[in-house]
Amino acid sequence: MTDIFKYRSPVSRAELLGILADHGEDARVLAGGTDLLVDVRNGFARPKVVVDLKRVEGFSDISWSEAEGLIIRPAVTINDLLGHPKVRDAYSLLVACAQDLASHQIRNRATVVGNVVNASPCADMAPALLCLGARAVISSRAGHRVVAFKDFFTGVKSTVLRPGEILEEIIVPPETATARGSYRKLKRIKGHDLGIVGVAAMKKDGLLRLGISSCAPTPLLVEGLSDTDPVEMAVAAAQLAIHPISDLRCSREYREHMVGVFVRRVLQEVA
Amino acid sequence: MRISVTVNGHTYERDIEEHWTLLRFLREGIGLTGTKEGCAAGECGACTVFLNGKTVNSCLALAAEADGGAVDTIEGEARDGRLSAIQAAFSRNHAVQCGYCTGGMILSVRDLLSKNPKPSIDEIKAGIEGNFCRCTGYQQIIEAVLDVSGQLTPATKGELKYA
Amino acid sequence: MPENPNPSEMPNPSDIPNPSDMPIPSDMRAVGVSHPRLEVVGKLTGDALYTGDLVLPGMLWAKVKKSPHARAKILAIDTSKAERLAGVHAVLTGHELDYRLGLYIVDKDILAKDDVRHFGEAVAAVAADSLEVAEAAVELIEVTYEVLPAVLDPMEAIKPEAPLVHPDLGSYSYVEAAFTPQPGTNVANVTRMRKGDIEAGFSEAEWIIERQYTNPSVQHVPLETHVAIVEWKTGDEVTIWTSAQSPFTVRSLFCSAMRLPLNQVRVIVPHVGGGFGGKAGIHLEPLLACLSRKAGGRPVKFQATREEEFSLLPCRSALTYRIKTGVRSDGKITAQQMTMYWDAGAYADYAVNVTRASGYSAAGPYEIPNAWVDAYTIYTNKPYGTAYRGFGHVEFFWGLERHMELVAQVIGMDPLEFRMKNLLTPGATTLTGERITEHTGDPRKCLQAAAEAIEYGRLTPEEQERQERTGRKIGKGLATLHKAPAMPSFTATAAVVKMNSDGSVVLNIALTEIGQGCATALGQIAAETLRFPVGKVKVAIETDTDKEPYDWQTVASKGLILSGNATVIACEDLLEQAYAVAAQVLRAHRDDLDHDAEKIFLKHNPESSVSFAALSIGYAYPNGNGIGGPLVGVGRYVAQGLSNLDKETGQGLPALDWTYGAHGVIVEVDPDTGEFDVLKIASVFDVGKVINPAIMRGQCIGGMIQGLGTALCEGYIYDQEGHLLNPSFTDNKIPTAKDLPAVIESVAVETAQIDGPFGARGVGEHPMISVAPALGNAIHQATGAELMHMPMRFEDVWRALLDKEPIDNWITESPYGSCRSDLPNAQNPFVAGAGPELQPREAPVATAPA
Repeated sequence: MTDIFKYRSPVSRAELLGILADHGEDARVLAGGTDLLVDVRNGFARPKVVVDLKRVEGFSDISWSEAEGLIIRPAVTINDLLGHPKVRDAYSLLVACAQDLASHQIRNRATVVGNVVNASPCADMAPALLCLGARAVISSRAGHRVVAFKDFFTGVKSTVLRPGEILEEIIVPPETATARGSYRKLKRIKGHDLGIVGVAAMKKDGLLRLGISSCAPTPLLVEGLSDTDPVEMAVAAAQLAIHPISDLRCSREYREHMVGVFVRRVLQEVA
Repeated sequence: MRISVTVNGHTYERDIEEHWTLLRFLREGIGLTGTKEGCAAGECGACTVFLNGKTVNSCLALAAEADGGAVDTIEGEARDGRLSAIQAAFSRNHAVQCGYCTGGMILSVRDLLSKNPKPSIDEIKAGIEGNFCRCTGYQQIIEAVLDVSGQLTPATKGELKYA
Repeated sequence: MPENPNPSEMPNPSDIPNPSDMPIPSDMRAVGVSHPRLEVVGKLTGDALYTGDLVLPGMLWAKVKKSPHARAKILAIDTSKAERLAGVHAVLTGHELDYRLGLYIVDKDILAKDDVRHFGEAVAAVAADSLEVAEAAVELIEVTYEVLPAVLDPMEAIKPEAPLVHPDLGSYSYVEAAFTPQPGTNVANVTRMRKGDIEAGFSEAEWIIERQYTNPSVQHVPLETHVAIVEWKTGDEVTIWTSAQSPFTVRSLFCSAMRLPLNQVRVIVPHVGGGFGGKAGIHLEPLLACLSRKAGGRPVKFQATREEEFSLLPCRSALTYRIKTGVRSDGKITAQQMTMYWDAGAYADYAVNVTRASGYSAAGPYEIPNAWVDAYTIYTNKPYGTAYRGFGHVEFFWGLERHMELVAQVIGMDPLEFRMKNLLTPGATTLTGERITEHTGDPRKCLQAAAEAIEYGRLTPEEQERQERTGRKIGKGLATLHKAPAMPSFTATAAVVKMNSDGSVVLNIALTEIGQGCATALGQIAAETLRFPVGKVKVAIETDTDKEPYDWQTVASKGLILSGNATVIACEDLLEQAYAVAAQVLRAHRDDLDHDAEKIFLKHNPESSVSFAALSIGYAYPNGNGIGGPLVGVGRYVAQGLSNLDKETGQGLPALDWTYGAHGVIVEVDPDTGEFDVLKIASVFDVGKVINPAIMRGQCIGGMIQGLGTALCEGYIYDQEGHLLNPSFTDNKIPTAKDLPAVIESVAVETAQIDGPFGARGVGEHPMISVAPALGNAIHQATGAELMHMPMRFEDVWRALLDKEPIDNWITESPYGSCRSDLPNAQNPFVAGAGPELQPREAPVATAPA
């Protein structure tokens, strides 16, 4: 009775996708480990093979171009994102969501891709990516496909990813660069905590979008608003979109109330 | 699996179980017990080490990931039998009580000061947010960081008052 | 890798003669100085060894099978597959172990036998070559349960028709002098206090105010979880390494349960990573001993995971506290009836004593001429309560100090003025009939200082401006506290101080350093008594029952007085021995001699002297004759003049000392959302004499923040089957550095404890007590939100602001764990996706003046 799982550390994309295709549901991808290793320890994940993608060439890249926008590869950590000059300059909403994600040590390991693939309803990066109109480039040995983030999440901790697939790139289109953005997250303490309610707002060129976490099985996008709409209209739209539960963290009605409060606060910031 | 890891400047070659965390490798694989387990879930920071120059919760990193890399633990903080400036400041300012969080806390402080030599109180709090301390209530730790960064003034130096 | 920013040329701390910026009191050199902690270097470097760091030859690893049910019959346990697994050395189940545990009521098996009584209870255990094998073996153990309906709510458990957690309560042995279990019920103990004439007192009152307050179970969260290594060798010699607060209690309870003579068991405590009461008694050691014995004497180690710390290991009892106060409109309390329902969980452990100790302290530092206390320890099917910092006082002061605030408001008096009117003054008597003197301490001064520290009663111009600018309301709240050590009336301790051949000394005491700083404080006391620099005093940190002299327990905030006194006496004894030999050497009368840090000399001819070093291990004359011998000072001290409490009336003298204190809190509240921010906490304690200011400040701030945690965010949440829903840091939060209020102040009052060392009394537990009600009172002042339950989350403040049904956060109804009110017939308004109309909560019971 020895290994609980085998560790593989491919250096090429082809090798990574090949291992995942071969092992199917027996394999789990390791990026930062801050979700996977917790799940393994708690018995929620029992992989036979853990495939570390951090050594794959190019997977730690984060790049920006006028043509394509911001491209985030799978091993880019939250702190890598926060440290990138273009992100700091032009993507205030990404910064706002990233800087309140867990603790500094976690941000040195947790990846942007991992956060959305884990697909917790509380995922801190999801509201930003939804608002920014980001797209997911999903790859497997068979090829790749592109899915808008608003179609990416399918339920609590589930996404459109199939066995053998990885989220290889997050593309944040150039149109939403330099948008004004703000994020509010309700926590039980001032220190690091998952979000009880999270509300992000993005405003650019008359367009207004809200991203809401922890109020539904998936993170939510609220569209169809313009920046000239009265604040209460945005609040009403948000409250229509959400269907929060009561759980040990918070009651449904407080979540509903705080969504309204946070929508007003973030809209004030992006005004 | 055989790995080669440089810890506090010394290179170790060891056989490990592939599922071992870095924390387990440090404590059981090479006998460096200064790094502690507080929760094994990345919440408390007692297991904080530098992995390739970044502070991480070693309970959520695999030993295998450190192969070919460099790790710094609390045992590397003092040099040549002398406490570092951070350690001396912790002692002077009574930033240590039971000591269980201290190793991880000191490394987080070193990381903070390496990027921000004169952090404000709020920046210090953010820098050690991921390190729980149940004993001190953090205030004297903050004062130690202000002290070592040359920012302790009569206004910020905490003193017991008498009535 | 980041370089050390300031490569250091700093000397090591022990070289630094006087690091403190504090002015040195002119008459003392060691006491009153913020000397660095004696054991700090090992903690800074990672060299200090804690129990979990130890590896012994042949050591095995243990894992435990835990019940997923709160109450169940164990119909069968099949360990055959586990036993066959390669690498497994021992598997144990309850029926193999004919031992019983219990500090005060012997009610606990080492492993559950036929009945599981709480979620997370151990039902089987394995010792194996590695953690992986042990874990795999545990998974192979098959347990067949018959799940039974659990009794979770203490107010249900106390009813006659409730299922019994301990049907055999009548057959358990228990400490008859102190406790009164009620067989045939779920009541493990009843403590009563009867002072004066309660009916007469209520009839004198113009107002009668009755309210009920609750708080949930809470975990100590030491950063180091419980861990032990036990080796039961052939011949029945047992060695126990354990992270524990009380090595002698571990030994005596162990020997009593395992039926072994004390001399055959040795308990060693290395460094301890925090205790807070959770490590005060005996926990894992008997199980590991049995595993070791079954494994042929190999040492067996077990370290609790954090999740096991929350459910396998004990917590702090929950409390429902009903207080009925009669008061005149001039503010004088005439009568008070206090009923405490302690939710002890599945086993009595310390909870029965928490009930008793809270009983005699229940009225707080106030003079109540007519008072009744009825305190019940109630069994429920939940993880059980043990000692926790404050020993019941954090729990009941929540209710008491909220109550004092509410009473003041009902009668229209300022809460500070109301408290001052009723605080104990010299000459007053406590609930047990003890007379307070001017040396007991000064609760008035503490409260006054706390009020001044927060400028209570007014908003400063800056606070006004801030309030207007932000729209948030600022409120200020106060709360008082007191506590005496909860300990046997005859508690004793001893200290041994031995001189080394260079004239330095080693102090051996079994008061355990768990982070509170006792080693340093005692070292300073020794240094002061001997007139040595602190650098010449070593305090042995690791405690070993084979080597250290007896100490009862490291609990109760009694260490500074009892061990401090024993240390003084031991040092005086050492000096007397040295003087006796010096008198011979110097051919003088003992009274002609004096000493300094290095030597004993003739007062009238100081050149004529003999060094301590020369006397230390026997004095040798020039011609070779030897006299004297190794200097070993022994001191012993027993609590003086304390007595048992009468079982019917509770009258007696239980208190070694009383430490009084008060907190002031300034809070800022968003009236729309209930979000709040603690702007300042100031805490004042009458400690008699500050031995080490920085260490005292550290204890205070640490306790205040732990108190803030219990006020804001800590608490166990169960579903209706008794499963613990938050057994980890994900949902059981504790304060981080960001949760520290912007300003935190610590103040000492020094009303000398005449029988304390240099006038000192203890303050280890007190900083945590009453933080929660001070905060609750501040929130109340800011917004009128009446909070009756802990913790006070933002949502709870919001509910109170809107007069919505409160949440007690103990036991939840939906599978997701939604919360329901503690009021008897409340509908659960929080079912996912739907909800009936909310009910406004009951108005307070307050009868108007006649």
